[in-house]
Amino acid sequence: MGANEYDAVIIGAGVAGLAAASFLAEQNLKVALITRGEPTACLSTGAVDVCSKGDRPLSAIKKLPPEHPFHLVAEETLRVSLDKFQQIMKAAGLPYVGSIEKNRFILTALGTFKTSCLVPATMEASPQDASESLHVVTFKGLKDFYPGYIISRRKNAKCSIYDAGISSTMSLAAHFEERPFFEKFLLWLEKQNIYQDKIAFPAVLGLESAAEIVNTLAVLTGKPVFEIPTLPPSMPGRRLFNALKKNLRDKGGDIYWSWPVTGIETTDTVIETVTSFSEGHATSISGKAFILATGSFIGGGLTATREGIRENIFHLPVHIPGPHETWFDDNYFSMNHGIGRVGIAADAAMHPLGTSWKNIFVCGSILAETQILKNGCGHGLALATALAAAKSCAEYLAR
Amino acid sequence: MIKTDVIIIGGGATGCGIARDLALRGIPHCLIEKGDFAAGATGACHGLLHSGGRYVVTDPVAARECYEENLILRKIGQKCVEQTGGLFVRLPGDSRRFREVFLRGCEEVGIPAESISASKAMELVPQLNPQIEEAIKVPDCSIDPFRLCMLNIRTSELNGGIIFTRHKVTEIVKAHGRCVGVKAIDQTTGETREIHANVIINASGAWANAVASLAGCDVPMTLVKGSLTITNHRLTNMVINRLRHPSDGDIIVPNEAVCLAGTTSIPIVDPDKMNTEYQEVETIISEAGRMIPHFNHTRIIRAFSGVRPLLKSTKMDSHEISRGFQIIDHQNGLYSILGGKLTTFRLMAEKMVDRIMAFFNLKRPCETAEKPLDGQEELSGYPLSKRLEDLKDIVCECELVTRQQVEKIIRQTGTKNVGDIQHRTRLGMGPCQGGFCTFRALGIMNDMNVISPEQSMDILHGFLQRRYKGIRQVLWGDQLREEQLVEYIYLGVLAMEKPNGRE
Repeated sequence: MGANEYDAVIIGAGVAGLAAASFLAEQNLKVALITRGEPTACLSTGAVDVCSKGDRPLSAIKKLPPEHPFHLVAEETLRVSLDKFQQIMKAAGLPYVGSIEKNRFILTALGTFKTSCLVPATMEASPQDASESLHVVTFKGLKDFYPGYIISRRKNAKCSIYDAGISSTMSLAAHFEERPFFEKFLLWLEKQNIYQDKIAFPAVLGLESAAEIVNTLAVLTGKPVFEIPTLPPSMPGRRLFNALKKNLRDKGGDIYWSWPVTGIETTDTVIETVTSFSEGHATSISGKAFILATGSFIGGGLTATREGIRENIFHLPVHIPGPHETWFDDNYFSMNHGIGRVGIAADAAMHPLGTSWKNIFVCGSILAETQILKNGCGHGLALATALAAAKSCAEYLAR
Repeated sequence: MIKTDVIIIGGGATGCGIARDLALRGIPHCLIEKGDFAAGATGACHGLLHSGGRYVVTDPVAARECYEENLILRKIGQKCVEQTGGLFVRLPGDSRRFREVFLRGCEEVGIPAESISASKAMELVPQLNPQIEEAIKVPDCSIDPFRLCMLNIRTSELNGGIIFTRHKVTEIVKAHGRCVGVKAIDQTTGETREIHANVIINASGAWANAVASLAGCDVPMTLVKGSLTITNHRLTNMVINRLRHPSDGDIIVPNEAVCLAGTTSIPIVDPDKMNTEYQEVETIISEAGRMIPHFNHTRIIRAFSGVRPLLKSTKMDSHEISRGFQIIDHQNGLYSILGGKLTTFRLMAEKMVDRIMAFFNLKRPCETAEKPLDGQEELSGYPLSKRLEDLKDIVCECELVTRQQVEKIIRQTGTKNVGDIQHRTRLGMGPCQGGFCTFRALGIMNDMNVISPEQSMDILHGFLQRRYKGIRQVLWGDQLREEQLVEYIYLGVLAMEKPNGRE
């Protein structure tokens, strides 16, 4: 096999793409992951929502509308994908806690509870009800975190403010990795009079070593410490992305960064090659099979125009439930916007409907009928469908 | 109770202009506005300072007024007027006869109009449709209506005028059959104020009839909705008009970093119940796209509608209704002023105040046409380099608004409304339409203790719903991506709850 020839080519570096690539790479297949740039996962809370419409994700999934792509995936596949994910994250030093049997809450930057399933260990101590008192530590001038929102909802919360002279979450997180900054901060923290049950921080506690930093803080203060996700760019989202990326490299996968697909070569029955025009010249990557995990509108897998909606790489047929007027409901908060149902419809093998190419599989938020916000099923659906797509892809390659 | 000489109801351009004129003529007054300045038609127009060209064919009187006022505003309001110049472009199929009538009209009214070739027009505005047949150059300008109102109000404040924004007039107090005052409710605190005066001026635009009816009077009006879209780019440095009979989608106005295109013209009944329709957006974009083809592909960041409070007319085509204005003396101490347009607001104020002076039997000439607007020295346009100095404190990345600016407005106005900050700084007016910075502005208000945390949540709900109303019709391409991201942040990352009890 030539340098640019692969068993499987995965397009998209979100949770779905990285997971699918990893699941294939660990079967000793030659895998390439190509991406235009950073994924939407970097904007996420980092938490893995499986299905947030109830206490128990598995029974909540059963109540989803019949067209929901979760129904294409066996429960066992979902379980295995989450187990594999937890193993990967543990090995990366960013363990996740939680179980598929029961959802849990994380406290948000608005002071509300977000329902999720597996959460980074740095959010493990997030309160599960209103009873526990909180002490919020924040940073002067930090532009994406305002403790007032949280304190308003929790009468027993207090706040103290550290002046680090930094206003961005990312810069603060980088500083927390530096010993002198951290030690100075610890000296300040020791002097704070904290009598509440738990200590909350905006999620700025390190770029990679957050789990360790949270532990250090908990030991120092003798209180449970947890992080609250902020507006994007989100540190927990970035940590998740970086860990999955490293994992794929460790498993031997090749990652082609800044590699927007600008052309494809196909026959009537298979896709053979994708090409990209970058750095001034065209390069090609060939594969025996392809997995499309380019995400929905934010991720750039789909584009809406005044005329319609297209899938950007292979121009696969897009499932569109109705005309433009139906894409957005009158009420912003209804979560019933038709646009949430738009995507690529697939069969149980994660093979897109309406195409004659046999070697293409699809996973993640580009799938049709996901209604991700309404159902609270982001990264969980990505992991489950990634494993399903990877399995079908491996079976296809074995044929 | 407050006592003054004149009460002005309405803080649009007309009301603010009247306040300035009264201030310069030394008449104590009080202005009451139910929302913020420029909240009605003033702030919902395309910010075109007409040369008068648009009306030379249909309404020469209004055209002449426009041109005279255009000259005056360019002189007195340099910091809110951008002297862009304008073109009337003729597309294939547009009547040549209209061109003749147009040029003759301009000559009769005295508007300098220069006929130029298509290629000369393309040099001036390279984005123009190369198929245009010809163009006529006129002195159209772009004007910032928010700034205009604030600067007019500044003169009033400097001269002791009393200003109440976010106060809604609920009652007109009468004694012996005359209107002697008003009761107004402070929309923020719920408190009622009573203000008495010798004269009351109803300058409430589309709401004029509702206000007049509080005094048992009737104001005959025709309300006409006009919708506009805003592009993410400044596609032209000149105002572009279609050289044809006034019709839908025939004006494009550059304003700061964006362009506004419009309008439509649809009669409506209730100014508080108004939506921008998908079809209107489609019409505006395709018509504007005929003058500047890039309009068909560019990112549209918002659509909105305003109401023109026009004089009652039986004309079927609302484009034909006179843009002139009228002052009604209700013979009981109440005057209503209606009609007109943003360009002629100063003239309207002058005529109104002339009547007031006659009422008080005072003689002091109007000075508003000679004196430059107060407060312009503090404005320096939009000094990008200055705003970039302290990048770390930028809270609105689209429009480069700093935390310090936001804090200053909050301190100065004590506002509990994001819109007030927006109108004074452009916060939230860029591509994300407040998606990120509103969370921050409210967080800052929260930290400064001007709003309770419960209020901040209510305001955030209201903001998101209003924002959505303005972008729903233009969601495709990058604007749809941006919208999905904002939805993901508020409803996903922040798990914002549905507003309680009200949908």
